[in-house]
Amino acid sequence: MATSTTTTTPFTFPPTYNFPPFFTPQPNSTTRHSQLQKWSSLIQSWCRHHRTYRLSLVDAVDSPLFHNAALRKRLDLAEARAVVDWMTKKEEEEGGGGQRAEWIEGASAGGNAMPKSVAWIWWRRPEEWADVLVDWIDATGQRGVVLTVFELVQGEATVSQEFHGMDNDVMMKALNVLVKRGKASVFGNEGEEGVKFF
Amino acid sequence: MFFKSLDLTTALRPLLLPDETLLFVQDAVGLYEGKYKIPDYQNGHAYLTSHRVCYVAAEEPRKYSVGIDLKEVDRAEYQVVKQTVRSTAGFFKSSPKITLYPKPQKGKTDKSRSATASPTVSQQSSLLPVHPSSPRPQSVVPQQAASPKPVNATWICPICSFSNPVPSNFDPATATAATHLPPCLACGIKPPFTTVLKAAISAATSRDSPLPSTTAFPTENNTAHENGSLSGPAGLAGSVSCSRCTFVNHPSLMECEMCGAPLATGGLSIPGDDSSRTDSPAPFFAQSRITNSEVTDSIKLSFRNGGEKTFHERLKGALIQRKWLLQNAPPVPPPSQAGASTSGPAIAALESPQPAAPRATAVGIAGLEQRGLETRMNNQLVIGNAFEDLEALMASAKQIVALAETLARESGMTTNEGASAETNAVLSESAAALGMVTTKDMLSSGSENLYLSELSRNLAEYLTDDRKGILHREGGIMSLIDLWAVFNRSRNGVELVSPSDFQRAAELWEKLKLPVRLRRFKSGLLVVQRYDWSDEKTVRQLQEWMEELRRVPPDESVPWDWTVFGRAVTAQEAAQRFKWSVGVAAEELEMAEDRGVLCREEGIEGLRFWSNHIVA
Repeated sequence: MATSTTTTTPFTFPPTYNFPPFFTPQPNSTTRHSQLQKWSSLIQSWCRHHRTYRLSLVDAVDSPLFHNAALRKRLDLAEARAVVDWMTKKEEEEGGGGQRAEWIEGASAGGNAMPKSVAWIWWRRPEEWADVLVDWIDATGQRGVVLTVFELVQGEATVSQEFHGMDNDVMMKALNVLVKRGKASVFGNEGEEGVKFF
Repeated sequence: MFFKSLDLTTALRPLLLPDETLLFVQDAVGLYEGKYKIPDYQNGHAYLTSHRVCYVAAEEPRKYSVGIDLKEVDRAEYQVVKQTVRSTAGFFKSSPKITLYPKPQKGKTDKSRSATASPTVSQQSSLLPVHPSSPRPQSVVPQQAASPKPVNATWICPICSFSNPVPSNFDPATATAATHLPPCLACGIKPPFTTVLKAAISAATSRDSPLPSTTAFPTENNTAHENGSLSGPAGLAGSVSCSRCTFVNHPSLMECEMCGAPLATGGLSIPGDDSSRTDSPAPFFAQSRITNSEVTDSIKLSFRNGGEKTFHERLKGALIQRKWLLQNAPPVPPPSQAGASTSGPAIAALESPQPAAPRATAVGIAGLEQRGLETRMNNQLVIGNAFEDLEALMASAKQIVALAETLARESGMTTNEGASAETNAVLSESAAALGMVTTKDMLSSGSENLYLSELSRNLAEYLTDDRKGILHREGGIMSLIDLWAVFNRSRNGVELVSPSDFQRAAELWEKLKLPVRLRRFKSGLLVVQRYDWSDEKTVRQLQEWMEELRRVPPDESVPWDWTVFGRAVTAQEAAQRFKWSVGVAAEELEMAEDRGVLCREEGIEGLRFWSNHIVA
């Protein structure tokens, strides 16, 4: 994967990032929808580029993601929250961004428990991660082999893989998806989980 | 007398000549030539101006509209209101009518005018030879000729001194001692012939008859109509039968002579009870195109919706004033020219005719003061004279208008130094607009709808008038409130239009198919714009502007790619570019945003609009 290995190259922003009205919530519903979609894809590609799984909005509003220093424009916290909120909603039923984000309840950035301040950004959803894992297992012929979660995330064998260096919680979510599908079983104590693929 | 074709304004009203003023408007009017209805001219507006009587049809006004110059009108007669004719078929009612008789033409012996043996004969003889070829229905029920002539004369019984009406069929020209005379209504004694004859003659002579040669007989209409809405059995010559005791009273009495009951003069036929009646049983005139055709006979205007009394009154006034004579007349001569002309041309024009008193030459401040005093005196005199009575006001209208103009100009100059030149221009032009406006008193009371539709037409004319170019100057769009303010200012503080009337009139534009329309923005702001102006056009204009901004490099370097995004515009810039008011510009920009053409940027610079590059 190109992006996974080139973390040192600067992130290239889409052209709309330099369009000043992009930072103002649009009252027209069509325009607004388009704006939210563009923000959603920007956040996802930003997170993928920076291998970020959980995004703390309080920190992010000062990052180049939400703050265009050249234009001296920024998306403030409330507006960024509105964008992520939209991303958490289902596409069909709620007209949202297709569950590309998920709020982390109780988590907080600076120690104060604040609702909706940290979110998972699903540039790949847990289900999609599960598919990636299964593909890798199949490709390497490791069915029936017991692996530790640590091996999957940090092991030398997965360095070339996209899920290398993945957030542990995300990995567990992906594995849980596989467990539910009956493709794997997880065992062991917390923090020392092992996994067996069928 | 000719039917002349009319030039209509954009608002489908007659285009007035210079100096011509509108006097009265009435709707639901039909046209007759002689006794015959003219097809397609049976439902329209009658406009009485100082120069003309105009008819504009409600349907297809451009096709069916004619005017008659008042200078060709000899006299106007007012036919009895809701005359009831007894005939074998029962009762027929006819709408009140005003008849216009043409002036006799030179070099042409007009039979109808010279042969005035009796009104019945003259009416028939004038009708028949005119269009001998035109097919006419034979079953014409003559409206007038069959009914006996009402006579207003009374004779006093020498026995009991009771005032008896002279019998309707009594014609002093033909009556002899053998004529049957009805007995006195009180004592039943037959009167001597001479008593009745004297009474009839004195009644005819004492009356201010338009036909001075007809003292020999009583004319048919005038006397009976002067009392307005009299009606009664036609056989009793306009006298009114008491509804309580059936005593036949003299028509001028308001109460029954016998029992004192109020006489229901309108009781038999209430005027306006069948207001929207456009089809009357009168036969149709065969000719369909009447423009430029000559009228040797009379013209009748049938008032199906009332208003005939005021119309007749003002028509009489206009015929007396003969404003058309003034059409090319020089303005009222400014008096005491030599002395006053030094005090400025505007003031000089106002000075009233005064014998130029030997003027003591004064110099310095004393001279200036004296001059000022004279000017004030003159103005006072002008105003004083003019308001003495209304006739005088009409006569000195020109002076007053000039004075009003000057006052408006002066007040505009002194009070608001910073006011735009446009406002001043509008104010000073306002006097010119005086002749154009419909005021409430031009219309008969109670005709609210007519007032509104006329006001609506007025407004449309005012807006589309190229001389003023109100709409054009405002970039083709103007808020209703601004228009209301400007319009009322142009009325010089008289006959102001109330906001609710104004709005209702504006709402009628669409219905009356006038060239302006009222539009409501999302925020509720009401604006006025040309009928053919649409949002699409505005959007196209804005898009062109945005394209232009992408080609022209911005003044200072910008962090974004201006060749792609262009630059932001504010409502102020849009207002400046398109000559809109800022409120309208903001609304138009938001309209374009609503359509997804523009998008907004809120920042410390305020609200700005961009071409929409968010929607890919």
